[in-house]
Amino acid sequence: MRRIVLRRLLQIIPLVFAVIVLNFVLIHLAPGSLFDVMTSEQQITDPAMLDQLRHTYGVDQPTWVQLVKYIWSVMRLDLGFSYRQNAPVLDVIMQQLPATVILMLAATAIALLVGVTAGVMASVRVNTIWDNLISLGAVFFFAAPSFWLGIMMTVLFAVKLGWFPVGGMRTIGTDNGAFADALDVMYHLALPATALGLFYAATYARVMRASMLEVFRLDFVRTARAKGLSPARVVLAHVMRNALLPIVTLLGLQLGTVLGGSVVIEAVFSWPGIGSLLFDSVMSRNFPMVLGVLVLGSLLVAVANATVDILYLRLDPRIRLR
Amino acid sequence: MPSLATDFVRRFARNRAALVGLVLVIALIGVALAAPWMFPKNPLRIVGRPEIWPFVNARFPLGTDSLGRDIAAMIAHGARTTLLIGLCASLTATLIGITVGASAAFFGGWVDEMLMRFTELFQTIPNLIFVLTIVSILGQKIEYVTIAVGIVTWTPIARLTRAEFMSLRDREFVQACRAMGMGNMRIMLGEILPNALPPVIVLSSLVIAGAVLFESAVSFLGLGDPNISSWGRLIGDGRTLIRTSWYICAVPGLAIMLTVLALNLIGDGLNDALNPKLRDR
Repeated sequence: MRRIVLRRLLQIIPLVFAVIVLNFVLIHLAPGSLFDVMTSEQQITDPAMLDQLRHTYGVDQPTWVQLVKYIWSVMRLDLGFSYRQNAPVLDVIMQQLPATVILMLAATAIALLVGVTAGVMASVRVNTIWDNLISLGAVFFFAAPSFWLGIMMTVLFAVKLGWFPVGGMRTIGTDNGAFADALDVMYHLALPATALGLFYAATYARVMRASMLEVFRLDFVRTARAKGLSPARVVLAHVMRNALLPIVTLLGLQLGTVLGGSVVIEAVFSWPGIGSLLFDSVMSRNFPMVLGVLVLGSLLVAVANATVDILYLRLDPRIRLR
Repeated sequence: MPSLATDFVRRFARNRAALVGLVLVIALIGVALAAPWMFPKNPLRIVGRPEIWPFVNARFPLGTDSLGRDIAAMIAHGARTTLLIGLCASLTATLIGITVGASAAFFGGWVDEMLMRFTELFQTIPNLIFVLTIVSILGQKIEYVTIAVGIVTWTPIARLTRAEFMSLRDREFVQACRAMGMGNMRIMLGEILPNALPPVIVLSSLVIAGAVLFESAVSFLGLGDPNISSWGRLIGDGRTLIRTSWYICAVPGLAIMLTVLALNLIGDGLNDALNPKLRDR
């Protein structure tokens, strides 16, 4: 078991390495190079000064030397310097990342809760009005763009009804200790997390329903029923546990899209995560920052994927038998 | 072969949801084709008073936006953008996916290993962030957005193609081709591909729906092509006015949702018609 876990974790390294190389290729595809953008922004035109800067930043060296240097610096967690914020790229991203991770976690939790519950209900009451209603809901939420859902929810729940705040992460000018602060963040989190989570809830509901129906047919379920276990226990302890496995796989596969989705949702709710940072950086062609977000985002997804895979080993009763 | 095809059509036609999707998509294509004839002038020009609500003024059935542009005209022209980007992005994704998946399965060994790692790489990179990166580097043009969306959506197609090729490459008809001395390319393209294609096409139709959602998100963020009418951009432009005129966001959003819904229903219908055994699941 430990060896499998270790091997899975080691697989992250070549993946991140490849992301770095891809990044480097992307920078060099750019029509105006990073250096040109930087110098034009600072309005440096003096040829001698430009030469000196070229030397300082190593742009005068051959491409492969630059690649090796770039890989080496990323390995030392040096993602470059953002002249815009006048701070190292890593520091700026690390400052914004927690808000994004909170949003992702909350959205995933809502998606799992709503999706799994809906899927189980639909499968238990298969081909009834409940099943049809849940399927219909899933089809709609699977088609609605999350940012649009977010705006429509803002119109209804924040503007018209006034139940939730329109945006932001905290109420300005309050300081009532850690617990009150956590509640305040959750209050602000409700709408964005739901808007982002419902799309995935729709996916999970459909997969969960199909997976439950498949497990219901298996022999061990009949055995469990024959033993005289209560229907609730059969559904929850025997069928659901096995039917959850495809959901775990899906969860791992979709992490990258959840991160992308949160970037858009952050724009809707002015959530102070890496979404707004990425947006500003794309607009101002701040490539070190954009690529830093890409590298760290990929790393986040790779680590989370490995975690999900390891979790899968623990969850699947068939694997432990071996 | 024709009996198989009619069987397929009959199974698809029995699926009511898929037919609804088909009708919606045909209507959408109709609107997209008729747009230059219904609204011959540039849809982005100002035609009336700003913020007229839908169904109030007969000249602007869907109202006007914050600048006084006709929303109906922008929706109709936006349908062209949406369909075109969706189709082209899906085509790009399908071409990349088939090339990668087919080569991986056909050559096997280290080629397979390398190509699958390559696929994993693209599954790991957060796709929307990658699209935004490409657009920021290459520039905000409709071609780049389309290619970028294609680049982030090909991985499921590669995996499916690989699985299909794997199950086909050792069949007797392929061995017969080898024995006849046919070249690799000819076997792959002429013999295996046609047999592997139906499920791949079904998946590609579902990729169109995903591509439409991607494009709308990019345009919503204001990173799409600024010179082209797009539903996502319309939502992004209307965002600041949700307190007074939320319909500016609601209308194009409904258009996106109906389009994606219809494409998904068709895709599901094709899938069910292709695998009748899975239908009752």
